[in-house]
Amino acid sequence: MSRVEVDRERCVGSGSCEMLAPEVFEVGDDGVVAVLRPLSGPDDRALAEDAVQACPTRALSLID
Amino acid sequence: MTVDVADVDLSDRDFWVRPPAERHAVFDVLRREQPFAFFAEPEVPLLGPGPGYYAITRYADLEAISSQPAVFCSGKGAVSIQDIPADLNEFYGSMISMDDPRHAKIRRLVSKTFTPRMLERVIDSVREIVDDVLAQARRTAEEGDGTLDVVADIAAPIPLRVICDMMGVPAEDRAMVLAQSNIVLSGGDPELIENQDDPLTALLEAGMALAALMERLAAERVTDPRDDLTTALVTTEVDGERLTHQEIASFFILLLVAGNETTRNAISQGVLALSEHPEQQARWAADPGLDRTAVEEIVRFTSPVTWMRRTATQDAEVNGHPVKAGDKFLLFYGAANRDPAVFHDPQALDLARDPNPHVGFGAKGPHFCLGAHLARREIAVTFRALLEQLPDLEVGEPDRLRSSFVNGLKHLPARLTGVR
Repeated sequence: MSRVEVDRERCVGSGSCEMLAPEVFEVGDDGVVAVLRPLSGPDDRALAEDAVQACPTRALSLID
Repeated sequence: MTVDVADVDLSDRDFWVRPPAERHAVFDVLRREQPFAFFAEPEVPLLGPGPGYYAITRYADLEAISSQPAVFCSGKGAVSIQDIPADLNEFYGSMISMDDPRHAKIRRLVSKTFTPRMLERVIDSVREIVDDVLAQARRTAEEGDGTLDVVADIAAPIPLRVICDMMGVPAEDRAMVLAQSNIVLSGGDPELIENQDDPLTALLEAGMALAALMERLAAERVTDPRDDLTTALVTTEVDGERLTHQEIASFFILLLVAGNETTRNAISQGVLALSEHPEQQARWAADPGLDRTAVEEIVRFTSPVTWMRRTATQDAEVNGHPVKAGDKFLLFYGAANRDPAVFHDPQALDLARDPNPHVGFGAKGPHFCLGAHLARREIAVTFRALLEQLPDLEVGEPDRLRSSFVNGLKHLPARLTGVR
């Protein structure tokens, strides 16, 4: 299953991914987003694709 | 509409009170024929003339510049055409005019107090504030001659109260906050800055008054923590570093400017846009399911922030166009938001537009609007309430702010046809 990788240098914690998928992403106490759980199923993958696309700093990537 | 852009000067404030259709027609020509049009800088008393700037009007160029912050920096000034004078930088030199790594550090510090989850608590109170403001607006109309001002009675108080609530600003200080933030974002409009010979001093004094309030609140929260954003800001740490009270004051001014005035203009310009598109208004009133796309379209259509500036740090190119180190670029968001290469029928207000990759909150890059989540919510709640609670609102002729920087209305007279 694919997973989402966060580039901690690029992420500024805008929360754009969290808006789309709060069950998968959360901006943490360090101001950088954390992936809360592994992706499972095509719905998760679609959400993750949207989040990658929405990230204003291109800090997310989908690794297959 | 045919226009001759040879005489157009984007640095002339009079250009910005021309009817929107004329301005859009000018930008259509610039986007098509002169995507890197060069303009001399506006004259500002007490500041020397700068080298001039390029007006970026194509979506692709704007995104290319915005997404390369190392090549196109914000640190020379993002919200002024002139480089920021040192004494203004003390109050207005917030992270919007900073570059990484300092920007990233402060942004993350603030981000964690501004996440969707943190905002959920605030958001509960947004509906309460909106209902209260609209009820007061109706009373104002009923007790008078049936008229009200959409800006003063609806669009201004809503975001001001939301931000002041979030920051914990006491009720007695809020009128001062509104008056001073009006000066900060006046663009030198004579109605808002009385001393036209010395607008920089007026700006400086407004910054000092807001900073003094915020430094006082920050100091109070250190000894007497509360459940508000100011407390979070004085106590939060990233990599062992906290914001100084002066940085908190700068951030507060940024919040007022970026979060307050812009939402105000999205609401007032949105009300005006709906009144000019009654079929869209009727459609939205009948279908709350449209809220999500309608809010995005309001932001695209009104583009409350007209531009941000970037400055080239090195020789480079933008989609094949060569640029030189030191070149200044104004990113015209409203122009990019009407780029036919990206938006079908871009001059049309289409509340169901989807996808809608507008740059009304900024384009890709580290400076993307921190308050986008909050703004979306405020706009959604306000319009839903307006459509349901003031369906008899009939607006008149807008009085536009004479500013190139924000797409603002000073007044939008209206009447409630149900009164009398």
